[in-house]
Amino acid sequence: MTQENGHALITRQRLHPLSPVLKGLRLFVLAVVAMSWRSLQQLHFWTWLAVVAGLFVILLIYSTIAWRFTGYEVIGRELRIYEGLISRRVRTVPLERLQAIEVMQPFQAKPFGLAELKLDVAGAQRSEAPLAFLPMPEALALRSQLLALSGGHSTAVVEEETEHELRRVDNNAVVFSQLLTPPVMFTPIAVLYIASQLVFNEDRGFFTIAAMISAFVATIGAPVMRTLNFWDFRLARSADGKLRIRHGLLNSRSQVVPVHRIQSLTLTWPLLWRAKAWLRVTLAVAGQTSVASEGGKAETDRLLPVATLEEARAVMPYVMPGVDPANLPMTPVPRRVRWLAPLRARVLAAGLHDEVFGAVDGFATRTLTIVPYGRIQSVRLTQGPWQRRLGVATVHADVAGSTPVSAAHRPVEEARAWARDLAARSHAARAAALTPPTTGGH
Amino acid sequence: MQSLSALDPWPDSFQWRPVSSRLIAAELTERAIWLVVLLGGSAIAWLFTQSWWAVAVGAAVLVLNIIGAIFGTLAVRSYGYAERDRDLLVRHGRMIRRLSIVPYARMQFVDVTAGPLERMFNIATVRLHTAAAASDAFIPGLRPDEATRLRDRLAALGEDRGEGL
Repeated sequence: MTQENGHALITRQRLHPLSPVLKGLRLFVLAVVAMSWRSLQQLHFWTWLAVVAGLFVILLIYSTIAWRFTGYEVIGRELRIYEGLISRRVRTVPLERLQAIEVMQPFQAKPFGLAELKLDVAGAQRSEAPLAFLPMPEALALRSQLLALSGGHSTAVVEEETEHELRRVDNNAVVFSQLLTPPVMFTPIAVLYIASQLVFNEDRGFFTIAAMISAFVATIGAPVMRTLNFWDFRLARSADGKLRIRHGLLNSRSQVVPVHRIQSLTLTWPLLWRAKAWLRVTLAVAGQTSVASEGGKAETDRLLPVATLEEARAVMPYVMPGVDPANLPMTPVPRRVRWLAPLRARVLAAGLHDEVFGAVDGFATRTLTIVPYGRIQSVRLTQGPWQRRLGVATVHADVAGSTPVSAAHRPVEEARAWARDLAARSHAARAAALTPPTTGGH
Repeated sequence: MQSLSALDPWPDSFQWRPVSSRLIAAELTERAIWLVVLLGGSAIAWLFTQSWWAVAVGAAVLVLNIIGAIFGTLAVRSYGYAERDRDLLVRHGRMIRRLSIVPYARMQFVDVTAGPLERMFNIATVRLHTAAAASDAFIPGLRPDEATRLRDRLAALGEDRGEGL
């Protein structure tokens, strides 16, 4: 790969002038609310208005100065992002390490037609701080340019892209699936508790009620946020084979994932969804934040937020060609494992397919994790003292951006054979991906 | 030795290299320092309170440390690594056995570290990082020249693959 240093492919551009205002808006609203809460009674309305106006003017002045330093440019194979007023920063993103890009339109940016760009970069702990904000057409154009450059094209010119839709998730299914989650299931109990408190408790102070309401919001908040996030979920495939994922009611998100950047796939069957035979499909991309570690943040790892197995199988050819999640060569663990894992022993299964390694785990919430051989980073074998007594061991295939695919409690002979096979097959897959120098993957 | 290679996927096709026995000395020293601090703490507690609990805690600390020292020594002896054509193998652990197979092509970077105690005993730790957070192969107790040799070799082997992931 030749380094074209100093050659500007995209000359330095500024972000939209409204960006700092929009970024500061949330803080501004919070500040105003906090201030009003405390002092609206004491302060005169006009004084209050003057203070709010003053704050807004300060925000405007700050934004104007901050905006003058923001910008981005592409030089050689690097994207440089300039930002910061007090401490200025230039962040450099090597385009080869770019995994996926999401264009997100937050609620407050919608009226202005602005959007932000989130970059998933390999090796970064979380999504690189976004490029915010750009006008929507510019954001979309920049995304295709960056993806073209990261895919090894030497120019930033991209042809008009056509796409065809793979799957549109029914909003009713999204709502219903989110109703079938533990927090919502417990809501009747919470409501009952609150009602009984209101009936029997004499102390109907403001704070008691406020505490109850906030507790209620906290329980039901996550499913509601997910419903809003997965609203109008569309999965499409562009002409050059990249996946396009769009969703969101308040914050619209549009993510482009090159298929060869997908590190692993997980199919999850939650306990409460069994009656409807529903599952969700999540994908791991290196550099993307794992959802668990960020708690309340929006989940952007969904390939399908809710689907039947048939629907999931229907999109597989475009995601991992040749892999059928219903037809993987899975072998169960030996019966003696029930001494170690009485409930999971009947569920645990794993197997080596022609192109992927897959493992099933979980008693209540069942998961099937699949990693293509070409994406395996390293292979590990572990064996605890009880496993040794039963003559079993666990095989892990480590994946970037996700938890390892672990085949638990395999007989030792099989575990060793699998470790050999996984090492050999992942080497073969890497070699095959490297020999045709044009495109890696399918 | 037989029990150690129970997980070995390629038995008898290569030699496992052990780590330096100075690692045992370093670990025992670290343990001794902690032991002195904790015993000193319980001695002071006993002086002030005359409580037999302090003596009991001190005794427990002593016994646990002796057991820990025995297992620690065995664990150090269980460390082994092997450089194969395409990958590095690292194994360790006696109670919980672990064996990592890290292809050179997957290495993102290699760290060589040496803490104050390690420097005192003239050993270093080599740690390999891949793009996956879960895979960390980690070899402590290497002589500095061996650590440098390993790092240079790993860096050279990993270098020819620059492409993303």
